[in-house]
Amino acid sequence: MKSIFKNSLIGIFILLAAANIYLFVASMYIGDEINKYESHITALKQENTDLEHEVYEVESLQYAASLSASLHFTKQVQPVYFENMKYAFNR
Amino acid sequence: MTKLRFLLFFFLVMYVVIILRLFYLQVLKENPSSEYLTTRRIPAARGNIFDRTNQTLATNQVEYKLFAEPKKVSDIEIANIKIARALNVEESTISARLDKTKDWVAIMGGLSRSQKDAIEALKLSGLGFDDEPTRYYPEGSTAAHLIGFVGKNSEDESVGYFGIEGFYDQDLGGLPGLMRSDRDLINRPIFLGTQEKIDPENGRDLVLSIDKTVQDIVKKKLKEGIDKYHAKDGCAIIADPDTMEILGLSCLPDFDQEKYYDFNEQYYKNSAISSLYEPGSTFKPFIMAAGIEEGVIRPDTIYHEKGPVTIGEYTIKTWNNTYEGDITLTRALEKSSNVAMTYVGEKLGKDKLLGYLKSYGFGELTHIDLQGEVANALKQQKDWYPIDYATVTFGQGITVSPIQMIRAFASLINGGNLLEPHVVKKLINGQQAKEIQPHVIRKVISKETSDKIKTMLVSTIANGETKYLRPEGYAIGGKTGTAQIAISGHYDASKTLASFIGFSPIKHPKFIGLVIVNEPKTSQWGSETAAPIFFQIAKELIVYYNVTPE
Repeated sequence: MKSIFKNSLIGIFILLAAANIYLFVASMYIGDEINKYESHITALKQENTDLEHEVYEVESLQYAASLSASLHFTKQVQPVYFENMKYAFNR
Repeated sequence: MTKLRFLLFFFLVMYVVIILRLFYLQVLKENPSSEYLTTRRIPAARGNIFDRTNQTLATNQVEYKLFAEPKKVSDIEIANIKIARALNVEESTISARLDKTKDWVAIMGGLSRSQKDAIEALKLSGLGFDDEPTRYYPEGSTAAHLIGFVGKNSEDESVGYFGIEGFYDQDLGGLPGLMRSDRDLINRPIFLGTQEKIDPENGRDLVLSIDKTVQDIVKKKLKEGIDKYHAKDGCAIIADPDTMEILGLSCLPDFDQEKYYDFNEQYYKNSAISSLYEPGSTFKPFIMAAGIEEGVIRPDTIYHEKGPVTIGEYTIKTWNNTYEGDITLTRALEKSSNVAMTYVGEKLGKDKLLGYLKSYGFGELTHIDLQGEVANALKQQKDWYPIDYATVTFGQGITVSPIQMIRAFASLINGGNLLEPHVVKKLINGQQAKEIQPHVIRKVISKETSDKIKTMLVSTIANGETKYLRPEGYAIGGKTGTAQIAISGHYDASKTLASFIGFSPIKHPKFIGLVIVNEPKTSQWGSETAAPIFFQIAKELIVYYNVTPE
């Protein structure tokens, strides 16, 4: 009886120690994972911001103006009828 | 045996010490995990600003600040050369900052992602980067005064200043979140410890009434005009007269919003809302409309323009000192007759004249949603001299802001409604959107009077000084103005403020525009400076809005 109790106690002690070690290792592992995902999210956010920046830049009139200037397309489109109404009225 | 007992005793003592220490840390010590608990503020993302077509005018970006811990840099000389080459700057610029005696030095801020990657690829020890969240304006300074900028306050927090960024700072700024987390020595979260997170509430996005194409046209044409007429500065506002939504607003010179700190504070001032000026002849239609509304005059009322008018010790003349005898009041507006306006003022009477000035909203703020609006209170009636009643009829002796002027003028052509001008059309908070509706403050004149004054203003353009500027086939209404600038209580004849206010098309005006040019050198007249700029803008807008000839 005494030996059963003693063995059980040793067993429980070993089990608790193992569980404790497992929880400690698991929490370290999860902590590492959280850290990794936090860094990943930050990097993704920055990448997203950088991509948005590029999209907005390409969408801007400033970019269109600089592009047209680099292509020597600087003459503005002006409807002819504006100064010569005969074209508008087909005279 | 003694040795074993000693060992047992030693372990017992050690266990008791550990238990006592744990008891102290976990029970007695206040806030036991404070040494591991880190509290971090999670900044809210500032809201974006869009134009009416949902094109971005302001958004966020991350720039990087390169810093070094010089004592940890293995070879300073090689680091100098490599960093300078990667950033395409002089070596001396880097070496001047890389001070070996210091523990931490900032080397360069405002770096882009690609520059950061280039530095990281060098794999130099002792270097690091700090994120610098900043504002990005894809259209550059196209709408600098309208949008304002984001700077820092005394607590190093981002704060919006001037324009939309200033007026809607709280909406755009949002609410920061909070992160409470137990962390170990190398900043890893302790899973079994405290882990709390309150998400930030990001700022609201704003959709403006501004059309970036209109804004671009306005700024481009205003700049060309200011350069052409060698003016000191200038402003142009384009609005929808039926809603008083601002479609475009530019004042020059302006500033670079991303490098606002390189500019003097004077450049931040948006003259369209923060400056007062004497409107001159552009004020005449207000008095004319008031006279028609009160039934004391009609557009075809005959006025005998025989010569200058004397009031007390003052003599009032026409701008060119020529007099045409019997003329209608429509003709008086066409030729911008000051003496005819004094007649209208007399017919209207002092009380009604002052009453209408108040009704048009002069002397009060328009409450436009931009930071920095000013207004000059109207003088008390007891302070008005007879000459003041006469000169105010042709826009001298009264100061108004450009935004007051365009708002009041819009009421003349939209059927008589005085509206509150606004720049923000919609506030978006996640999935919810709040539309800003036009707000009518009061009815100033009737629809009939509005139609009559519109016809007179069309006639003014068709037969007045600016008739050659009008695009053929199109009816445009408007009025020029040239006001001398008061300096030390006297008018300086050599310095004028030229302006033009106009609208198109006539039946249902699509836009109203005000152009002000301060101290033009090539000509002092509004008809030769501000009016051509307005017509340049109007021609582009007529094409943009597909306005057909009338």
